[in-house]
Amino acid sequence: MSIELNTNDGQVTITNDVIATIAGGAAVECYGIVGMASKNQIKDGISEILRKENFARGVLVRQENDHLHIDMYIIVSYGTKISEVAHNVQSQVKYTLHKSLGLSIDSVNIYIQGVRVEKE
Amino acid sequence: MTVRTLDGIVFSQMVRSGAHHLTNNAKKIDALNVFPVPDGDTGTNMNLSMTSGANEVKKMDSSNISEVALAFSKGLLMGARGNSGVILSQIFRGFAKGMDKKKMLTAKDLAQAFDTGVSTAYKAVMKPVEGTILTVIKDSAKVAVEEAESENDVIALMEKVLLEAKASLTRTPDLLPVLKEVGVVDSGGQGLVTIFEGFLAALKGEELPEGVTSEMEEMVNAEHHKIAQDFMETSEIEFGYCTEFMVKFEDKKTKENPFDEETFRNQLNELGDSLLVVSDEDVVKVHVHAEYPGKAMTLGQRYGSLINMKVENMREQHTAIIGDQQKQATKTEKVPYAIVTVAMGKGLKSLLESLGASVVIEGGQTMNPSTKELSDAIMEANAENVLILPNNKNIIMAAEQAADLAEVKAVVVPSKTIPQGISAMLAFHPESDIEENRAVMHDACGQVKTGQVTYAVRDTQIDGITIDNGNFMGIADGKITATHPTRMETVKLLLKEMITEEDEILTILQGEDASDKEVEELVNHVEESYEDMEVEVHKGNQPIYSYILSVE
Repeated sequence: MSIELNTNDGQVTITNDVIATIAGGAAVECYGIVGMASKNQIKDGISEILRKENFARGVLVRQENDHLHIDMYIIVSYGTKISEVAHNVQSQVKYTLHKSLGLSIDSVNIYIQGVRVEKE
Repeated sequence: MTVRTLDGIVFSQMVRSGAHHLTNNAKKIDALNVFPVPDGDTGTNMNLSMTSGANEVKKMDSSNISEVALAFSKGLLMGARGNSGVILSQIFRGFAKGMDKKKMLTAKDLAQAFDTGVSTAYKAVMKPVEGTILTVIKDSAKVAVEEAESENDVIALMEKVLLEAKASLTRTPDLLPVLKEVGVVDSGGQGLVTIFEGFLAALKGEELPEGVTSEMEEMVNAEHHKIAQDFMETSEIEFGYCTEFMVKFEDKKTKENPFDEETFRNQLNELGDSLLVVSDEDVVKVHVHAEYPGKAMTLGQRYGSLINMKVENMREQHTAIIGDQQKQATKTEKVPYAIVTVAMGKGLKSLLESLGASVVIEGGQTMNPSTKELSDAIMEANAENVLILPNNKNIIMAAEQAADLAEVKAVVVPSKTIPQGISAMLAFHPESDIEENRAVMHDACGQVKTGQVTYAVRDTQIDGITIDNGNFMGIADGKITATHPTRMETVKLLLKEMITEEDEILTILQGEDASDKEVEELVNHVEESYEDMEVEVHKGNQPIYSYILSVE
């Protein structure tokens, strides 16, 4: 699946992978996130923290009519205000995608897949 | 005065003083906010987080510092807003943890608490971005630990921590490029420094002044950056003038019109955006993007005299910036090869472009392009090597002059007709060097026969053929070989002249005055009369020549 943009000079096609990678990159720079989780985690039962090249597996890009929705599966750090971390991720992902691809995202849905407790 | 220990009561005062000082400076910190999202809310978010922390502390009545710190940390966590708020809550969560249930802290304990704050804060992020509040707390805590080795005075230690925090803050633009670009320090880092200033003031029992005016320049930069990001098109700028001025208060005027920053700000807010207002007892400094700068100044004049005025037209600036960017874009993207050629007619132009011509100059038989037009086209092609195909013998000279004048390597392949130019382009090889290309393309010009059909504008006698005004003539490689009152017959005669047994392909470039029906008839004629010929038709839309024929 991909996004088609029509410009004066022709067409630009952006694949979902690109969107997912940029969204994932923006998210992990966000404070409070300690990892991206596979979106299939529940199904697979595998608790894995995705490394950079696998961002796309924790990010789902959905296109419904003309609307773009992003679902992100993240793991947050214990002791942070999770709702706020999620909100920060939403605004940062939205902003970064707009800045780098010119895309307007209708919703960024955050699924907290886990909380990581650091050893003291 | 030397303070050897820090208890809960003093710490509680520190927190309140820090929160209070942050409240006073929240607007300024908002203005600095360009990272990670330039939404200008860092100051507000940190202030809300810090106030929530301070409120928890107020509820406590304990001299046990670890209890107060825990309450502070809890309040911060509950009230955390925004990235900076969450980071702040983590710093002080670690800070509270680092106290290890002590009732009071020595300078060494305090340093240790800061250090634990840093490691806790860093644990909660996958990819720490340096040049932010994280860097500022890290640098400060490092100095605290080092200094605590020899320093027993809590106040002196806090002074050094603040000093390092400020120094670290000024280094943030070197670590985070977006800050450097805008010319501001990190907003979250500024927030932390502000809190530390509050801490130290409380330790010393001092009052802090409200608002800080010194960094107006930084805030203005940040506002401009945000504006620049908002507008991609010059026409989208709603408020056209960047207006900055200072009002020096005059007693006479302020007696009539007592100055109130809040009211003044609200009035200015109606005139534009990107508003910054900073005042002290003597002056108020204003930065606003307004459509009518005079109105903003008139408002200011009610309180005193105007000094240091500056008004800039942002639409003009924006146009200039866009112009520069476009110029740069064409300068940087130099391609290795380009072909500049000449043709008349929309169809021919796009045909040549589809074959790989970078620039097609409008021109031909009756409208030869000048040397300057050719030179400009070479510039426009923006390549290291330029091949010029004049497609007309009258243009070859001008093309050669243009090639001599060119700053890049430019050579002329002396194509005399459009079919020659097309053949030459088909022979072009991007991997070969320019001289090789010139040679093979020149050869290719000789392998094609060109026929042209046009009409006579006067009676004449050329090449032994008598032509009447209004009759059609067929030209084979520059020589008139056929003439007839009808166009169709002229073409047929011309083809008879041109096509030999060795030829295989006929390409017909249909001129603007040749109808589709006529072309169809012509194709049928060719297929019947010359069985082995393949016929291709392109719409050239060229004027003057009803047909341009290419025979190979």
